Amino acid sequence: MTISNEVILKVENYNVEFWVDGVWYPAAVDMNYEVKAGQVLAIVGESGSGKSSSSMGLMGLLASNARTSGSVKVKGQEMLGANSSLLRKYRGKEVAYIFQEPMTALNPVYTVGFQIVETIRTHFPVGPAEARKRAIELLAMVEIPNPEKSIDKYPHQLSGGQRQRAMIAQALACDPALLVADEPTTALDVTVQAEIIDLMRNLKDKLNSAVLLITHDMGVVADLADDILVMKDGMTVEKGSADQIFNRPQHPYTQQLLAAVPKLGFAATRELAAPAKPEPVLKLENLVIEYPKRGRIPAFTAVKDFNLEIFPGEIVGLVGESGSGKTTVGRASIGLIPVKSGSIQVNGQEIAGAKLSDLKSIRRATGIVFQDPASSLNPRLPIGESIGEPIFLAGEAKGAELHKRVEDLLASVELPRSYRNRYPHELSGGQRQRVGIARALALTPDLLIADEPTSALDVSVQARFLDLLLELQDQLKFACLFISHDLAVVDILSHRIAVMQNGELVEQGMRDQILKNPQHPYTQRLISAVPVPDPALQKAKREASRA
Amino acid sequence: MLAFIARRIGVVLLILFGSSFLVYNLEAIAGDPLAELRTSSAKNRDFLMHHLIMQLQLDVPPPIRYFSWLKGVLGVFTGNPDLGKTRDNLLVINEISAAIPVTIRLVLGATILAIVLGITVGVITAIRQYSRLDYTMTFISFLMFSLPIFWVAVLLKQYMAIDFNNFLASGQITWPWIIGTAVVMGLVVAGLISGDRRRVITLFAGGFVATIVLLLVVNATNWILKPGLGIVGVGLFAAGFAVGLTSLIVGFENKRVLYASLTVALTAVIAYFPLNAAWDGKSMNAAMLLIPFVLLILVAVGAVFGFTKVDRGSALRVTIITAVFASLFLLIDRLMTTWNGYINADGINLRPIPTIGEVSVRLSSDNFWILLMDGLVHVILPTVALTLISFAGYVRYSRASLLEVMNMDYIRTARAKGLSERTVIVRHALRNAMIPLTTLMAFDFAGVIGGAIITESVFGWHGMGTLFRAAISTQDLNLLMGVFAITSFMAVMANLVADLLYSALDPRIRAGK
Amino acid sequence: MAKKNKAAEVAATEGENAIALHETAGLSQGQIIRKRFFRHKPAVASMIALIFITIFVFSASGIHLGTEAHPITIQGWWKYSLTDIPDTNFCETSVGCPNADHPFGQDPIGRDYFALVMRGAEQSIMVMLIVGLIGGLLGTVIGAVSGYFRGWVDAVLMRFTDFIITIPSIIIGAVLGFKFGNLGVVALAIYLGLFSWTGLSRLVRGEFLSLREREFVDAARVAGASNFRIIFKHILPNAMGVIIVSVTLMLAGAILLETALSYIGFGVQAPDVSLGSLISEYQDSFTVSPWLFYWPGLLIISIALCVNFIGDGLRDAFDPRQRRRITRKDLLAATFKKPSSEA
Repeated sequence: MTISNEVILKVENYNVEFWVDGVWYPAAVDMNYEVKAGQVLAIVGESGSGKSSSSMGLMGLLASNARTSGSVKVKGQEMLGANSSLLRKYRGKEVAYIFQEPMTALNPVYTVGFQIVETIRTHFPVGPAEARKRAIELLAMVEIPNPEKSIDKYPHQLSGGQRQRAMIAQALACDPALLVADEPTTALDVTVQAEIIDLMRNLKDKLNSAVLLITHDMGVVADLADDILVMKDGMTVEKGSADQIFNRPQHPYTQQLLAAVPKLGFAATRELAAPAKPEPVLKLENLVIEYPKRGRIPAFTAVKDFNLEIFPGEIVGLVGESGSGKTTVGRASIGLIPVKSGSIQVNGQEIAGAKLSDLKSIRRATGIVFQDPASSLNPRLPIGESIGEPIFLAGEAKGAELHKRVEDLLASVELPRSYRNRYPHELSGGQRQRVGIARALALTPDLLIADEPTSALDVSVQARFLDLLLELQDQLKFACLFISHDLAVVDILSHRIAVMQNGELVEQGMRDQILKNPQHPYTQRLISAVPVPDPALQKAKREASRA
Repeated sequence: MLAFIARRIGVVLLILFGSSFLVYNLEAIAGDPLAELRTSSAKNRDFLMHHLIMQLQLDVPPPIRYFSWLKGVLGVFTGNPDLGKTRDNLLVINEISAAIPVTIRLVLGATILAIVLGITVGVITAIRQYSRLDYTMTFISFLMFSLPIFWVAVLLKQYMAIDFNNFLASGQITWPWIIGTAVVMGLVVAGLISGDRRRVITLFAGGFVATIVLLLVVNATNWILKPGLGIVGVGLFAAGFAVGLTSLIVGFENKRVLYASLTVALTAVIAYFPLNAAWDGKSMNAAMLLIPFVLLILVAVGAVFGFTKVDRGSALRVTIITAVFASLFLLIDRLMTTWNGYINADGINLRPIPTIGEVSVRLSSDNFWILLMDGLVHVILPTVALTLISFAGYVRYSRASLLEVMNMDYIRTARAKGLSERTVIVRHALRNAMIPLTTLMAFDFAGVIGGAIITESVFGWHGMGTLFRAAISTQDLNLLMGVFAITSFMAVMANLVADLLYSALDPRIRAGK
Repeated sequence: MAKKNKAAEVAATEGENAIALHETAGLSQGQIIRKRFFRHKPAVASMIALIFITIFVFSASGIHLGTEAHPITIQGWWKYSLTDIPDTNFCETSVGCPNADHPFGQDPIGRDYFALVMRGAEQSIMVMLIVGLIGGLLGTVIGAVSGYFRGWVDAVLMRFTDFIITIPSIIIGAVLGFKFGNLGVVALAIYLGLFSWTGLSRLVRGEFLSLREREFVDAARVAGASNFRIIFKHILPNAMGVIIVSVTLMLAGAILLETALSYIGFGVQAPDVSLGSLISEYQDSFTVSPWLFYWPGLLIISIALCVNFIGDGLRDAFDPRQRRRITRKDLLAATFKKPSSEA
């Protein structure tokens, strides 16, 4: 990776503020950095750090209630306060953006080709035929299969990874000097993410463009960045080269952040005491789950011939990418989804095909924690009621006794007892997930199903959550089916790992065995795709996988 | 695709079958054609009752009667529809065939006007959200939602018709009106263009003065009694549209498209005198009204192919719309020259705006233009009344739709690509915002048919609404069913068209994915 | 992948909207909505106006229910009633009319017009409220059941809804009103309500379809909640926003529909009075005696306008996505605040 001397982006004393109901709130404070041609600068931070707003503000893309001050120079030209025609000349041509969610960032009513051609013809006086040729070239460059056909496809007809590639093609249409990538891989599966990161690296080298990468994922940073800038609450906390930040972090926040990032292959050993009863808490046998035909959409087999056993006290990590069927398995295990054939036994009792009334007995044996803190709690109910509902409906307690039990549960997840009367919107994401655990453990179940519980959380919040979960599991000794797409997180928690692909169980075994010595090619691909948050190690891993 | 349409039509027919069955039986039970006779003291009362029972088959239970009616209706598939006879022994189908064109004339103008004006105002207020204009239009549209159409119609009849006719005696605008109009125009101009206090006052003053000057000129040239655009007027308006549309759709810098559309405007000017000569001839008929449209559209297409090599799609949009409007101006100008002759004609006697009826009964003329004028003049008031009510809905709906679209991610992407704000709004935002509007159009169309019932009653038109009221008052089951069948069929068709439009506009819904 | 999308989206909104949390701390959703509603000045003014009008109208004219055969009456505070015909009619000529004794004037027969208008308004408001109640209940229940249970229940109910939609309410109103008009205003309101719920049911169905996919519904199911409990305790409170807003719009439509029907003679029948029938009767004499024409119309407009504004205020309260525009004053007054150094 060659880094020439030309400074493409120079940011000095840059501030971004938002106006909300009469008060200016700062989103980014006094930022100073520069990016040279061929260099990748990663701006890292958790939610609320201001990394996205500051990057949107560089070219004036913020909402109307935002204001910027300071200096932002692209190739020496001042962007802040520039008149709109100058800004438009630079947008798309010298500075191009890649956004996070390609499904909504591309206009759904125009073809992908139209949108790329539009970018080209806005900045260059070429005819439609020539622009179309260039668009096909670009699509080939980003490795979209069948570029001549894909150019006339609508965004909803492409897969997620292909959409992101199309976005990248659109961004590169005018050979921009600076590429701003706002969480470009957050919405993608890990294997697709690895491909996109490779693509971005190759393109950057080929075109010698400067890249401003905004992300919260330290693995991606380790894989791509030359320099790093760490932000917290709008302030720049630390700045330095990748090597410096990862290996010799100075600021306590950076140290804390790095410590919280799960590193695949570095988790402590997990010993499992022999279970008291040899009977599995959860036994899935030849499980087939099908989504029935709805209108013109044909029936879809989500899970085929699935077999798994979970024993008391053990944590099994169920890993897979989107569409693998892992969530379906989790939900079926707790009786939320009907199964087509096969058997699901909880504590020896068959629940596949059971009626709602039969399921009452297993209610006490199982609990589930959901992924999305924004929708897993009823916004109209105080959290005390949400937590207490299972207890109330099981007929175990009501009134003052119920309140006491709820407060005990809140204490066990390290939330203040007074929160019983608060509403979900008053809590942060991490706090809401703790409420989720409290609710799931309300009836002290034997089996806890955790459906991607940390995917929506910041890295430091995730770390605390995982600590809590381990503590509780140690105390209460419940079995846990931990579903996740994040191998590094599964690494921290599980005794055993099961890998799913396209509805099938591809491999399962003890954690260390799977991670150190995977047998199935998919598992191997999955493991090699996960970026390690350490630049030297990641580089070695990358080169090893290429060999 | 065809399977989709076929299935929908099948469902539609089932629904129509069910609802017509319901209405038939409801009315049969609810209405008692013998009620009048029961209370009569005529000597041959029993005989009359017996006769009526035979005539209307009242001894047969309603559900069975329904099926014989249905058989008649299904005759439409064999080219032989029979909707039965009215109580006066007239063929229902004849009555309805005469009434439908009247109702359509009533409703069509208002619907198109409401859609075009409503969407335009909605889009403008969305772009200028929170401005004075926005708040004013919001208040006005709320007011319009709350207006009872029959009440408004009476007011219109008084102020727009009777008082206007009185005013025509002199043809000169009085000073109170001049000042009043100037104030309103000043406010509109100031509201449309945003700016600080000083600019607002300047704009207001400018609008005010310009309006006063304009109205004084109108008085001086006696324009109210002898209106006309003249060749200059037509040319200016057409050129204005050409320039405006070019700026809006492709951008003023695109000189080729500008030249193409100005060519269209120029053709309109050149065609002015020959066209009017042709139109003054004895053999004038309705088809000849289309001459300028056909001519100018051909010129529009030709100009595009002559001037531009690429991007013909958007160029064609600009030139064809210019052609349509230029033809309209030519038409309007010609109509204006008829005005003086019309108001002085026998049977009109300087009271041209009517309050009742579709045509003036005392007018005796065979001049095509006078008759056309007559028809148009009768349609003005009802159209204004109907538009007022529908317009508000379109404003609110299109405003909300566009605001929602403007918050989407792809709008930010479009800006990040370097597109001008105008392109972002016209090409990216509008296209997405218009999609949900098709559903509104379907509902509105169905509602407008219902509204026509009231309007026909107020303005004395003899269309479907009048038939309907007569049918209910006289307990005429066949006539009522005839009206109901046609109106519900049209409503349901409107829904189907809207669905098809929706899937045509939104590629995510198109057959396939 | 959808999961990961949501994850990222939540993370993004969390940060920037933490600022908005300042104003909602310690309040329940209901209280927040109430606070937002009271900030919408036209809506609050309309609400006060509407309450005032309703109380005024009902108390002035008294309550008259039941059919002709079995009336139920409670006397109001206004001295004249519908049937009083005083000896002198001041309003034969427009001079001396309206006067202190007859603030709204008198009709050609001499009856006090204020009494007539109040009566008409009372009928219209009553119809409006009953239609709103019945239409609201029907629409909510049908939409909820349809959206929650899906499958064939949904298909059947939706076909039924389409079926009702194809019958324009004015036709049904006319047909039934003509025959059953003399059963009283309440009957009219009931069958108008039976045909006006279709729009609401579509909206409620949409809300239920999306809400039932939310994770807290799954959580409730896992906790052992019955379908009934889930619909009424969990989903319905979250759909209230859409329902309330739709019902207010339905109210406005109802009063306009009723007056229109009365105008063409198929709604409220003689000898009872509706604002629509008053307008119909006196539309020709409005140059001579304008008070006969203006008062009913103005009353209709005021009631409908108030309801519409309240609906708009409610919509803003339940779904506030707009922020007030920055004015020059705000820009000048702003001070740059340094964030706290607390990490």
